[in-house]
Amino acid sequence: CDNEFEQINNNPNVPTAISPDLLLAGVLRNTINDQVNEAWGIGNIVVQHTAKIQFVNEDRYLWGERNGVWNSVYGNMRNVQNIINLATASQQNNYLGVALVLKSWLFSIATDTYGDIPYTDATKAKSDGVYAPKYDTQETVYNGILADLKRANEILGTGSESISGDILFGGGSGAIIKWRKLANSLRVRYLMRISNRRNVNTELQEILSDKAKFPIFESNADNAALVYQATAPNQWPLYGSRVGSFDEFRASKSLVDRLTALNDPRLPVFARPVERPSSAGRVEYTGIPNGLGDTPALNYNGGPQGVSRVGLSFACLVCSTPAPVPNVMRGLVMTYAELQFLLAEAREKGLITTGSAETYYLNGIRANFDFYKAIVPTEYGINVTPSPEYFTQAGVAYTGTQQEKLQKIGTQKWVALFFNGLEAWFDWRRTGIPTVTPGPDNLNNNRVPVRYPYPLNEQSLNGTNRTEAVTRQGTDDLNTPVWWDK
Amino acid sequence: LLSGLSAVAQTITGRVASADDNQPLPGVSIVVKGTTTGTTTGADGRFSINAPSTATLTFSFIGYETQEIAVGNRSTIDVTLRGDAQTLGEVVVTALGIQREKKALGYATQEIQGEALTIARETNVTNQLAGKIAGVTVVGSPSGIGGSSRVTIRGERSVDLNKNQPLYVIDGVPISNGFTGASGRNNLEVDFGNGASFINPDDIESINVLKGGAASALYGARAANGVIVIKTKSGRGNKGIGVEINTNQTVETPLVLPEYQTVYGQGNGNGGDFAFVNGGGAGLTDGTDEAWGPAFSLNKSYPQYDSPRTLNGQPTNFRGGDLNAPAGSVITPTPWVAETDNLRKFLQTGRTNTTSIALTGSNDAGNFRLAHTLLNQTGIVPNTDLKRYTTSLSGGFKFTPKFSANAFVSYIKGESGNRPSISYGTESIMYLFNCWLPPSVQLEPMKDYWMRGLEGVRQYSWNYNYHDNPYLTVYENTNGQLYDRVIGNASLKYDLTPWLSVQGRTAIDYSSEKREYKRAFSTQRFPFGQYRDSRIITEERNTDFLFTANKELNETWTVSGTFGGNQLRQKSDFLETNAGQLNIPGIYNLTNSRVPLQTSQSLVEKWVNSLYGSAQVSFRNYLFLEVTARNDWSSALTLPEYARTFGTQDNSYFYPSVALSAVLSDIFTLPQSVSFLKARLNYASVGNDTDAFTFTQSYNPSDPFGSSQIYGETDRLANFNLKPEISDSFEGGVELKLFKRRVGLDVSYYQTNTRNQILNIPLSITSGYNSRAINAGLIRNNGVEVALNLVPVELPNSLRWGVDFNFSANRSKVIRLADNIQNFVMASRRVSIEARVGERMGDMYGIGFARVQNTDPTKPYYDATGQYVGQMVFNQGRPIATTERIKLGNYNPDFLLGINNSLTYRNLRLSFLFDIRQGGKLYSETQTVGREGGIIIETLEGRANGYDLNLPGNGVIGQGVKVVSTNADGTTTFAPNDVKVNSRQWHTAWTGGRNIAEGVMYDASFVKLREVQLGFNIPDRIWGRVPLRGVTFTLVGRNLAVWSKVPHVDPETLSYSGGTALPGIEYMAIPSARSFGFNLGLKL
Repeated sequence: CDNEFEQINNNPNVPTAISPDLLLAGVLRNTINDQVNEAWGIGNIVVQHTAKIQFVNEDRYLWGERNGVWNSVYGNMRNVQNIINLATASQQNNYLGVALVLKSWLFSIATDTYGDIPYTDATKAKSDGVYAPKYDTQETVYNGILADLKRANEILGTGSESISGDILFGGGSGAIIKWRKLANSLRVRYLMRISNRRNVNTELQEILSDKAKFPIFESNADNAALVYQATAPNQWPLYGSRVGSFDEFRASKSLVDRLTALNDPRLPVFARPVERPSSAGRVEYTGIPNGLGDTPALNYNGGPQGVSRVGLSFACLVCSTPAPVPNVMRGLVMTYAELQFLLAEAREKGLITTGSAETYYLNGIRANFDFYKAIVPTEYGINVTPSPEYFTQAGVAYTGTQQEKLQKIGTQKWVALFFNGLEAWFDWRRTGIPTVTPGPDNLNNNRVPVRYPYPLNEQSLNGTNRTEAVTRQGTDDLNTPVWWDK
Repeated sequence: LLSGLSAVAQTITGRVASADDNQPLPGVSIVVKGTTTGTTTGADGRFSINAPSTATLTFSFIGYETQEIAVGNRSTIDVTLRGDAQTLGEVVVTALGIQREKKALGYATQEIQGEALTIARETNVTNQLAGKIAGVTVVGSPSGIGGSSRVTIRGERSVDLNKNQPLYVIDGVPISNGFTGASGRNNLEVDFGNGASFINPDDIESINVLKGGAASALYGARAANGVIVIKTKSGRGNKGIGVEINTNQTVETPLVLPEYQTVYGQGNGNGGDFAFVNGGGAGLTDGTDEAWGPAFSLNKSYPQYDSPRTLNGQPTNFRGGDLNAPAGSVITPTPWVAETDNLRKFLQTGRTNTTSIALTGSNDAGNFRLAHTLLNQTGIVPNTDLKRYTTSLSGGFKFTPKFSANAFVSYIKGESGNRPSISYGTESIMYLFNCWLPPSVQLEPMKDYWMRGLEGVRQYSWNYNYHDNPYLTVYENTNGQLYDRVIGNASLKYDLTPWLSVQGRTAIDYSSEKREYKRAFSTQRFPFGQYRDSRIITEERNTDFLFTANKELNETWTVSGTFGGNQLRQKSDFLETNAGQLNIPGIYNLTNSRVPLQTSQSLVEKWVNSLYGSAQVSFRNYLFLEVTARNDWSSALTLPEYARTFGTQDNSYFYPSVALSAVLSDIFTLPQSVSFLKARLNYASVGNDTDAFTFTQSYNPSDPFGSSQIYGETDRLANFNLKPEISDSFEGGVELKLFKRRVGLDVSYYQTNTRNQILNIPLSITSGYNSRAINAGLIRNNGVEVALNLVPVELPNSLRWGVDFNFSANRSKVIRLADNIQNFVMASRRVSIEARVGERMGDMYGIGFARVQNTDPTKPYYDATGQYVGQMVFNQGRPIATTERIKLGNYNPDFLLGINNSLTYRNLRLSFLFDIRQGGKLYSETQTVGREGGIIIETLEGRANGYDLNLPGNGVIGQGVKVVSTNADGTTTFAPNDVKVNSRQWHTAWTGGRNIAEGVMYDASFVKLREVQLGFNIPDRIWGRVPLRGVTFTLVGRNLAVWSKVPHVDPETLSYSGGTALPGIEYMAIPSARSFGFNLGLKL
């Protein structure tokens, strides 16, 4: 009866083999959604783009267990690894290149969040029977990421296959160059990330010196930004929130005050005017300080009606009447603006010799304005175009000491990284720009967290390796800096 | 065709003795069946009678069971008669539906008679095993109305929580007991009942629980956790036509209700005022959903959601919460008073009506029973209900004296317009009441749950930020169920010789179910509503043959044996279609979808073939040896073709058992006071396979992104070298009857070793996979069961008092997991249920309170002085969390004890059952979140006088220490904590913001008054010529009272997560119900 039994036990419901394109779209959607949600839950708060008026634990640095990033990166890495394996076996270099870019991006998120992480041994349960991967040092992880990105740039375009399932860049032959640009732009990001620990001049300069060999983002058209759809379940991930849950998060005083001081027209994009202004009819933006206790948070400026909600472009279906558009905001991986700010910093610090820091800096600002100008619906009545004076005012003009210039670059970059996963936090941890002051009721002894603790399950499931990493790296808490941050 | 032989009458002699003590029985009536020929035994118990070899002799004697014996070619027939059912010598139904004399069994079984199930009832009949069978643990559903129960026998053997349930067998044939459901997806967690919950108690003659491996070895794999053997009623033994009617009417009220505070209303703890504007934060704290607001006072009036609106001073039809009211309308403040007992007011009295009518009849050739039962139940949650119609027909027919047929078929139709949503989430009403419904919200106005003029489109409620109006939840957002199930079997039996028979049997358990989830427009999680339609078909077919031999070789030896084979075919077919948003409100049809329909489908099939046999040897009717053997071949362990190269197949497994029983009181001469003494011993091995498709490493589809189709590899890693699981058990026991059976004692000790368990062991996700199928582990269960039956009083005037004790204690220990694996997370929900090597099964781990220690200077909070060791450490007045999970206790009880008293006097009968559980821990989510919301009574701590910390009784200073300084040598200097925090912060900090579990763990011990019955039998004579007989009227009550240390909830609770029942975790269960009413039974 074995023959019959074989038939019976052959699962008719699902395939046991697949092609890379069917995996690619899922990896992109899942990971980018997870980044949006992580930005919402922690990223925006810790860098004080937003603050909470209710259920204020995150804002007081009572973070508890945070394993969203961990599960997202490694859970999706399974499918990335499958693409790598399939593409390698069938010599599909384009899919392989795309997968290496995604692998690098995801591992960087994990290591920047947690520090030392499983890397060389990771996702090898199926191929090598590694069930408890050892943790690599962050330096090892970065070496791997940089090498993979370099390789991705080299092999993308050498395959004969056309990419599908590429919901980020649209696939086909036109997408290859965009993936290459992303690979090199990410390399710039990660070289800058470790630039306090290692001399990265040569590698950065190499990229900048040969645009044909190392194409990088040249405009917003190159942005790695997922365009959502109008219908569920592929809408902006927060579109299905309950209004109360969405409105627990408000514009932070840090953001509102900084943008107000610059008369920055992006403020109405990020924040809505308060419902109860100080005098009737006035359009008023008020941010709430981060890190208040439950009661002061909810009572700030006379209560929730006195505090700006997060902008309509990010809001949920039931957040406003008429309902906001379901797919205004993009799911950001990396933008042209960010790259320009990175290059401005690199040039200013002399890590590269190509171009002018000021040009990079102004390109970055303009690109971010243009980004919102292109996506914010006209019916929201928001004019995102800055006045000419915007660029000449003292707070923006590229003047002052080098430190002041770096401060301006960092501050503009911080604005441009709104809702870009945890990137603004990573960048702040490296540069300390802009100033982030823990809220008065914080529960972390006045320290801004610089790391997530490892997921609790690792204690049970990969205990020895985790312990080794903790011994090497330092206490498994919010306050132990990662390697590039030491 | 076999009756053609003419029989010659011969003389038969013999002796009739009592089976109890083998003393001769004088005066026993012996009749040649079907004739008037008869005789009686003499003083020495001997008799002599003339009868042909084809005849059957009937032996009957008052107080003893009647026996029929075919004469055959014997001239000597010695008979032992057993005292009838109430005493001893019972015949019990064992594996494969074979009836055996209990004394011959080498293993423990325990029985409940059907009557005990129909007088004081449970909709889910398995709940009635609680307290009545030693070694059985039953935890009922968190949903009420006939939901699932979790039954375990002799503790948990498998680290897979879903695998610890016993097998249910009806008339020798297994039925399906799956949980298809309690799906946790998208806030739609509903308990639709498990397979066993649909069994109709009225059709049950008896339930026999086979507890150990030896008892169940012949049932194979699924019986490793014990077997619940159900024997259905038949028409046998009822001469002519009889009618039985039974009706049961009960009402249900909540047994344990949470205690809520009724001092402070909605708000945020600033002591300020409240004003409703839009329920979304436009007013004063009207967007919060917490009860940290102003104190109630007769002197305060605030605009509230139910306050009237006026326009230009004129009253309108609109209320505060009608956000569609005309612009400029003003909400008139109304008094700020507490809604006391809001949950009690919301819940209703449940009603359960069951009526059953049975028609029975038999003659010499055949018998039948036709019965119909109607169950009509409304739950304590409004608009929840269950109707169950069961029609059963059973019959037997003798074609010839040697050739007979039996059949049973039961058609069950179940209907529920709505089963409650459970667990923590907006769809669950207990989530609202226990955590987020401030007592300032008056309940009555919410019954009118649409905004005026927007009926069907926008709900009317007290809060539009987070929550649904609970009446909208129960009346509009329904989880309906339609269920059709057929359970049936048919068998033919032929006696090849007087000692050898063969039987062929086929059985089916088929169910077809439709579930409909409806969600109305404006529901928080479903602004455009939703309609989801699930169809589930499950089918289990068993076809078997069985040879049975029974031969008395001589007076000393009797041998019997069986040999059989079985084909099991299981199939399930699932199809679900979801309209995630609707076009037109209120049209629940898939064509009304405003988004692309989402579909999921699966077809699962599994086959098992088996051969088995048993042999019994009886020596002088006091020594019994039984051996069994079985071999299974499972499709689930068969490698599909693509997997052949990856592993080695092991799909055939053999397992034996041996059992010995010795009636010592027959072997040895024991003191007069010992009526019966038996010892038993057995060893058994039971093999087990796994789920279908374990060898599939699949890529699963999910919703497409536009035109891009999406698949992802399953996060479970297949293993192509799986072997069958094996469970080995030893059991020894003693049965003792003293003082003419006034004292009965049955003690069992067992040990079970379960090894090579097939389980999905969790992996660190960094390996790329969340779990991996492996053979691993050794779980050892040890336990003791004691059943003690006493009759302290038995008077000639018919007064009788009986007490039955059922005691059991089980310890399951994790001896080994797999290489390099020291612990296994079985389930996780705030706390994790983990199997750790060397520890008990059922241990719960979670984040605890950091405490001062002086054992390890390298670890935090080391106190060199030792002065403060063990105290909690506070930071800014709040408890500090441990960085690692600590053991918080074990959910398994130390022991269970059921005590049933029954008093009878003439026609009156009173019985009451106490069910006692000692030990075991329970995590309470109601505590965790109810504290946060300021809802439960505990949250009055720290706000005796409002929120001003300068007033006495306000704020809380935690008992423990604070850190004064961290010293250079790594030690810490402490001082007593003196930091006062306000009440609201304190109650959130107690769980570290839903992180620390230690503070909300409770001792789940309880004493329950499980059942009370007061019955009256009306003597037949008073009816005279009226054809009423056997009229019994009984007042009944179940779950009448509970005593426990667990606040707010019934300690006997569990939670559901994606189809798995999680014990030890309370997660917003619907309050359990106390039930009382009456039962009336009669015959015509």
